[in-house]
Amino acid sequence: MRNTMDELAVGQKGSVKAINAPKQLKRRLMDMGFTKGVGVEVVKMAPMGDPMEISVRGYHLCLRKAEARSIELV
Amino acid sequence: MHTIALVGNPNSGKTTLFNALTGSTAYVGNWPGVTVEKKEGLSNGHKILDLPGIYSLSPYSPEEQISRRYILNEQPDLIIDVIDATNLERSLYLSTQLAELGRPLLLALNMEDLLVKDGIAIDTKRLSQMFGTPVVQISATKGTGIAELKEEIEHALSNPQTPPCPLFSSSIERKLTTLIEDDYLHEIPHGRQMRWAAIKLLEGDELFLETMPPIPPELNAYLEKTRSSLEGLYDDDVESIIVDQRYKVAERLARESLIQKEAKEKRFTFDTIATHRIWAIPLFILIMSGVFFLSVGVVGGGTTALLEGFFENLAEWVVATGESWQVHPFLIGILSDGIIAGVGAVLTFVPQLFILFLLLSILEDCGYMARIAFIMDRQMRSMGLSGKSIIPLVIGTGCTVPAIMSTRTIEHQKQRELTIIVTPFIPCGAKMPIFALMLTYFFRNKWYMAPLMYVMGILAVIVTGLLARAIDRHKETNAFILELPRYQIPSPTSVWRQTKDRTLGFIYKAGTIILLASILIYLLSSYSFAFKAVDAEESMLALLGRVIAPVFIPLGFGFWQAAVALLTGIAAKETIVSTLSVVIGTSSLTSFFDPAGALAFMTFILLSSPCVAAMAAMLKELGSKRKFLFAILWQFGFAYLVSLLVRYIVLLII
Repeated sequence: MRNTMDELAVGQKGSVKAINAPKQLKRRLMDMGFTKGVGVEVVKMAPMGDPMEISVRGYHLCLRKAEARSIELV
Repeated sequence: MHTIALVGNPNSGKTTLFNALTGSTAYVGNWPGVTVEKKEGLSNGHKILDLPGIYSLSPYSPEEQISRRYILNEQPDLIIDVIDATNLERSLYLSTQLAELGRPLLLALNMEDLLVKDGIAIDTKRLSQMFGTPVVQISATKGTGIAELKEEIEHALSNPQTPPCPLFSSSIERKLTTLIEDDYLHEIPHGRQMRWAAIKLLEGDELFLETMPPIPPELNAYLEKTRSSLEGLYDDDVESIIVDQRYKVAERLARESLIQKEAKEKRFTFDTIATHRIWAIPLFILIMSGVFFLSVGVVGGGTTALLEGFFENLAEWVVATGESWQVHPFLIGILSDGIIAGVGAVLTFVPQLFILFLLLSILEDCGYMARIAFIMDRQMRSMGLSGKSIIPLVIGTGCTVPAIMSTRTIEHQKQRELTIIVTPFIPCGAKMPIFALMLTYFFRNKWYMAPLMYVMGILAVIVTGLLARAIDRHKETNAFILELPRYQIPSPTSVWRQTKDRTLGFIYKAGTIILLASILIYLLSSYSFAFKAVDAEESMLALLGRVIAPVFIPLGFGFWQAAVALLTGIAAKETIVSTLSVVIGTSSLTSFFDPAGALAFMTFILLSSPCVAAMAAMLKELGSKRKFLFAILWQFGFAYLVSLLVRYIVLLII
């Protein structure tokens, strides 16, 4: 079974393996620093459990679960 | 004259640096995407350009396309890459792309003060050696390092140097070298770098290929072969391989230039409540209510009556002095019943707007805005909007124009258009005086009436959003990627500048548009078409007003004075107050409106189309006359229906 970032709970960490998204979204996510092997951590969830706050490359950003699902972890 | 472009990630402090360099007071805030259009200024005789923030030079997002096209076509003499030093890796990723554009480059490491707080230092010499461009450390907010930066700018301009390009792994470098040697690349437009062109060619970058003649078949075959061999080697597409390579370069640069990093994991206590699962949304509501309670309730309540009294006395004094000096009654009339009544009625609201603008700039500066987008995204999405739509709605409580401009950070076109259509439903600062005036005369002891106006505005947003979502058959979802900036203590200078600018803007309007409108309204309401001094009832204004007034009969304010006030409100919403003061006189408002009519009048103003400046912004941002017309008709129709409803509900209750 594939591991994806949306399955992480708050405080859990992972390492990016691949991004399975259409070209444009994939480039956008990679531009934001989600490249192979980079470490990610879920910092927080919004009040309704979506979107999620992710720490990557020393900064924080928020993503919806739908986008997080396209980030495959090791 | 030299041209210098400021480029960098969103929220890296480009505009703050722009202000520091040029001495201007452009709008800054602490969320990604404050600057949506390029701004120009002068510093030391050089033209400085503040470009919108970008994360990359990819061909996909409009801001990135604009910045990229600008640098390639306008060939600025120097690019200053403004880097958020607390976010070195991701910033340097953009730098690796800027370095390839063939223009002199200077790295300005901003937010030095925050680095110190984090216990981090950056070896600028080392970074400069490795990257091959000058590096200066600054704090644009505190103003440190600006002198050194200016020196470096002069130095870089007097002996311009093309920065060295970052090197990728040897397997890719070999392919690039082969491409550079190909005759085809000699056809690239003047001033473009061979290496940059080779990378774009390999990536198959559409924007780049548009500028080139068709690729010869042999080269195409070579490209295909190279791409598939690289893709086999790295198990990814070429575009992603290049991104990955750039990040590797950025990682190395950051790793080797960062020193003495103490692992200081800061957990912001405010954030734990601000984005708390249960408390986040109540806190947001509490903060916004607090903003309005402080400005409208506490400050407004105290100062409005005081200033009203002052202007009444002033008018009486003018009349008395004028009469004793035997000034022509016409002039006395213009001065006391036109200018002082009209402009005075508007100026009465300066103190409370000052507080409103002050509190809003603090909110914008501290980093809370992006968190609101984060916590509200789910709710906003269920109405066909995006979490980012909340930022325009909050800004809209100050002024609709910048609010509409700020919708540009919303990636999805439909959500953006919907946000533009609903933003005017949130009452702006200029509508506040109208509500305050009506509330004073009709609902004096009903404290809940002022918040009710905001609630009605929010409900209008929700209803429109839900309707739009119900009609939309595609229900497509889209990406929502937003950087959450660090919280910071708002900088007093930037908060003060912003508050001052917005308040002065309001006063300026009172001294220009409203002054003119007051004089015009006074003249039109005192003279007939035969230019004879007449009673207001027979004046030109009354005749004009009576043409449109019947439309408003069902709403309970079908008399010409209200119609004229609404008409003048198109110029600026505060004008409604000044017009009512001139044609009716605030104290006799109660003989014209009944409470139901007054509330319907307020509702109509709340929801109907905004002032001409906001309408211009809507037209520009919607980019289509058809959509604009739809937006205006929707706002007008919605306002009419709801006002009708409100009137009958009040009539039923009373």
